Amino acid sequence: MSQSNPPFMSGVPELLLLRLLNDQEMYGYELVRSIKQATNEAISLGEGVIYPVLHSLERNGSLKSKRKPVGGRTRVYYALTKKGRGRLQKLRDDWSRIQGGVATALGTAGSA
Amino acid sequence: MREPDFSALANRLLKSGISPRHAHRTVNELRDHYDDLVDAAVDEGANSRNARLSAVNELGTMDDFVAAMASRRELKTWAFRYPRLAVVVYPIACLAVLPAMPVFVGIAHRTAVMRWGASLLVAGIITALLLLIMQLSIILG
Repeated sequence: MSQSNPPFMSGVPELLLLRLLNDQEMYGYELVRSIKQATNEAISLGEGVIYPVLHSLERNGSLKSKRKPVGGRTRVYYALTKKGRGRLQKLRDDWSRIQGGVATALGTAGSA
Repeated sequence: MREPDFSALANRLLKSGISPRHAHRTVNELRDHYDDLVDAAVDEGANSRNARLSAVNELGTMDDFVAAMASRRELKTWAFRYPRLAVVVYPIACLAVLPAMPVFVGIAHRTAVMRWGASLLVAGIITALLLLIMQLSIILG
């Protein structure tokens, strides 16, 4: 079983998936590899867990999917939509705000 | 080493209220993902058994997966999303459809109904002929 991440990781998989799909369309396995690579394996998801996130994002219109036959298998490729780009921007802003807040709080706590 | 039981997973997802479209597609994606993990482990030099073991570990447990899917309300069928509405709508829909059910069933089983109708017609004709013969024998006898 792969290493799990703490509860405060809620929302991070969504942000990472949207960020990676902003560059190019990808399928599930490819996305998990890219997350590991992009985060230097700091973030390790139970690999199957990305599919509920992908389906939810597709359901709310942030992603679109299409099937492509590749190497004898039919892959489901996900791509970002215009709505997804807006969602990514919002999540980025939220993340920056939270990150700034936590960094400030840790700095204050450290100097106290 | 036991292979992940993807058919059982699909059933568990459906039972937890996930819509059939999402349940079947996710299971197919997960199966492909598992195959990719096995292939990758084999490419890295693992034997078949270890490759499958490693793939199962990386994929995560089926319990975690079902829980992750079930926690997403938007992936569920409307009856699971709005159970109170379903409790009202389903009985009303059933009552509305009930009078038309014999017609629907007849259409669905039209060949059997036609065979049954033809048998009934032949039996009726034979009975009528027998009655006619008996009637004639009484009159003429």
